[in-house]
Order: sequence, then structure tokens, then C-alpha cells
Amino acid sequence: MNKEKILAGLDAGHVNTKAIIMRGQEILGYCTVPTGFDVVAAAQTALNDASDNAGISRGELGGIVATGIFKDMTKVPPLNVTQTVPEYAADAKGALFLNKNSRTVIDVGGNIQKAIRYDQNGNLLDVNQNDKCADGLGIFYTTMAKAMGLSEQELSELALKSTTNLSIAIQCALSAESDAIDLMCQGRDIADVADAISRFIVERVADMCTPMSLTKEIVVAGGLAKSQALIKHLPSLIKQDVSVLNLPEYVGAIGAVISYEGGK
Amino acid sequence: MSEYASINEQLDWTRAKVIAAGVDSGAVSSKAVILLDGQPYAFSQVRTRTPKESAFSAINAALAKTHLKLENIHYLVATGRGRTQVPFARKTISEIACGAAGAVHIWGPSVRTVLDAGGESCKVIHCTEKGRATAFLWNDKCAAGIGRYMETFADLVKKEVTEIGNIALQSDQFPKLSDFCAVYAQSEALDLIRSKVPLEQVIVAYHYAMAKRISTLVARSGVKKDFVIIGGLAKNPGITDWLESILKVSRLAPKPEWDPTLTAALGAALFADASYRRQ
Repeated sequence: MNKEKILAGLDAGHVNTKAIIMRGQEILGYCTVPTGFDVVAAAQTALNDASDNAGISRGELGGIVATGIFKDMTKVPPLNVTQTVPEYAADAKGALFLNKNSRTVIDVGGNIQKAIRYDQNGNLLDVNQNDKCADGLGIFYTTMAKAMGLSEQELSELALKSTTNLSIAIQCALSAESDAIDLMCQGRDIADVADAISRFIVERVADMCTPMSLTKEIVVAGGLAKSQALIKHLPSLIKQDVSVLNLPEYVGAIGAVISYEGGK
Repeated sequence: MSEYASINEQLDWTRAKVIAAGVDSGAVSSKAVILLDGQPYAFSQVRTRTPKESAFSAINAALAKTHLKLENIHYLVATGRGRTQVPFARKTISEIACGAAGAVHIWGPSVRTVLDAGGESCKVIHCTEKGRATAFLWNDKCAAGIGRYMETFADLVKKEVTEIGNIALQSDQFPKLSDFCAVYAQSEALDLIRSKVPLEQVIVAYHYAMAKRISTLVARSGVKKDFVIIGGLAKNPGITDWLESILKVSRLAPKPEWDPTLTAALGAALFADASYRRQ
């Protein structure tokens, strides 16, 4: 990688668009904005705000590498995207950058989650993605926090205080929402309901991981990795220890930068 | 969903013989209606957090507009999914019975089929000219949460939930989304962004899919005229108009003086009024 050049990584996701600014191995700034319906506008805002955060001007960027589900839509003139990288590849490179010993990353995003296994150079070995019935778990988490009048952070904190194991749905977020509301209507403790919501999401993530072998060390990325309540349940379900990466939602964006010009 | 409280200034509660109230503890919002001798007096709607706390907020919001206190209310009936969590209610009655009673009170004795399209569930209720529910059909689990998902969808496309319903009527050209499951439909709607489908068309497509989903429930139970729609989704023209066109059935027009979201709470208040008089 060019040590002098300042590069931007852009991860245009279903729900949020993330931008990171790096010089060599150093992270200078970052920013997340909702994708909404205008991918290009969201990307512009994310890049501008991340540049401000890094204390540089957009003109100083030596290149922009895009990843994420909407990466191809960012390849339009105002953005000057230099190259695009598939999400899996970006996640692997990003996770390896943030934790040199990691060999598997579980990325729990807004609409989809994936598990990716890679070698010591960040080359892909195996990938798996959720089935459609488990789409929208991140959105579900946000929706449930809102329904309970809590922030996502508060929901997580509350769930950690739960004392009773309650259970909601086994398959889909719609049933889970319906079941969670039923528990609330039965007057169950809100902390126990929050825990059931968290456990439901983690069970879906663990289900996705079953068909593949997970190699140590296992790291967790994506916006939902910030919820301690979720992470608490993951090790017992996949029967392996996990650690959460720093800046978990920026793994894809960081990996995009690392992949610049083939990772030179 | 917006929170509000209002009263009918023409009435004076100090002269009322019967003060009856209904509280509807719903999955997304909690509603309260207070009647003075059967006349609508005070109304409120608040967002549901925990059912118990929100039942208190709803009745307190309605009371705050008056000089009434909770103990001045002669009889209070709770309905809705969280009805067992309303500690100050004398009685609980299902939202099926209350929805039918409220709808017949609002639209008159010609009503035979009521579609209650709420935040978490949809149900179709058949009733008599006196507003007594005779049969009902509840949505299956795969059709849950259509109301709440409207808010989630509006957030995702960065629009107000009150504006997307009108946008949903602006186009006849739109791609089809899964009309089986709101999770699928939402995920597919997000993916339409990638195929550069204009936002308006995506909004139409999402509403059409949800209306189609609700229509299967209505079609299964059968529509006897007159047909009315109550619940929060009754205020979304994208749902109601598409539903009418899919079902080829017209509903009775909404009454400007009644928010359709309050129908079940009104029904509960009517039961409270009748229960008090029977005592």
C-alpha cells in the first residue's frame, strides 16, 4: 500500500453508508450516514463528513475504494470512485487489518449478515450469508428499540439485566416482533423481553454459521456488534470464543482501502 | 403515528350523569376515549412503550384536557392487545367486540364488515346492525406487523409515514414485490434501489404488496356490505385505495369527525357506558 497517499473507503450498505479516511495503516477519520434512497448523496455526505473528521479536504484524497451492496451505484462522476471491491473480500481484509490473528469474521449488518473465513493474507476461504427469512435483523433491532421507547444502547443495557429466559419466534423478524409485543402485553419484565429480542437475533446469526467451520480467532463486525447483549449470547451458541473488532461497522470500508490497487 | 389529545368544548362534564371511558392498549399506540352521557368528549392517542405505562399516559392525556380526574370516571373498559395490563379498568373486552361496536356507532347500522388494520395485526370482523361481532378472522403470523413496518419503511426511504400513503397513489407503473411477507417485501424494496427504480415506484410497490397481503385476509372471510376500515392503516390512502381496487369493493368514506384509529377505544367506552347503566 502507498504509505503517503490518503485514501477513502466507502461502504454503501442497505441501511447505512460508512466512510473511512486512512493514510497507510493509520485511520484519520470516519463517518456513518443513513443510506436513505439516494445512494450517491449519502456517499457524498459520508465522504465529506469523514474528511472533515480527518481534518483534510476532499481534494487531498488520493483515491476512493467502494464496497457494500450499492457499490456499483457509487461509480458516478461526482464521486470519483477509483475501484470497487466485493463485500466479502473487503470484510476479510478489514477484519484482518483490525485483528491480525483473526481468521473468521461474522458481520451482522442492517439487512444481511455473513460469515467469512480467510487465510493469513486475507484471501477468502469460505463465505456464508443468511437466508431470506433472516433478512432485516439490524432493522428489526432498531424497530424494537423504538417500539420499547429505548435507544439501541439502552436496549442492550437492559437486556444484560435480564433474569428470566423468555423466547420469541424461531424464524422471522415479523413473528419475533409479534411475539415480543405479546410478552409486553402479558406484563413481562421489559429487561427479559429485551434479552429475548437480542437472543433471537443471535440465534439467527448462529444458524447461519452452522454449515461452515469457523476458524479461530473469530471476530464480530457490523453495526449490531456494538450491542453487548447480542455478543453475550454468541459464544455459547457457536461454541467458540469471539471478540468484537474496534470500529465494527467500518470493517468493510477499511477493507476497501486495504484492497486499493490489489493491496499493494 | 402522531400523539395528540383533544376535547369537545361544547360539553360540560359537571352536568353529565354517566362518564364512561375506553382505553385501547395497542401494539403501536394506546388510545383513550371519554364519553359524557354517550356523547364523545375527550380523545387521545400516545405511542405505546410498555402497555401499562402507556395506558396511564393515554387516559392522562385525555383527562389533562378536561378538569376531570380518573376517579370521576364512572366506568372504564380496556381493550386491545395489552388490555390485561390496564390496572384502572373495571372490565376488559376484546378488540373484536369493541371494533365492531365502535364502527357501527360511527358509520351506522348498515355496517356488516369491519377491517381493523392496526400496527401489529389485521382482523376482519362481521357484525350485526347493533354492532355485535358475529365472526372474525385474524391475520396469520406471516402478515403481522404491517402497520409498524410502514413506519420502518418510511424511515428507510427518509419520508414521513403520513406522506408515503399519498405518494403510493401517484403511479400505475411499478415492479411487483413479494406480497407474502413484510420482511421479504422490505428487503426487496431496498434492493430496487440498486436497479435504479424511481423512489415513487418503490413506495407504490411496497403499498401494493401490503394491500395485496391484507386483501387475502379480507377475501378469505368474505365481504358483506357495508364495508368499513378502522385502525391506523385506515388513514393511509396507499393501503385503502389499493385494497379497494384489489378487492373491487368500496368502503364507506371515513367520517371527518372521527379518527379511525380511535374506533376500538370508542367501542370500549360504549361498553363502559352500557355496563354502568346496567349496574
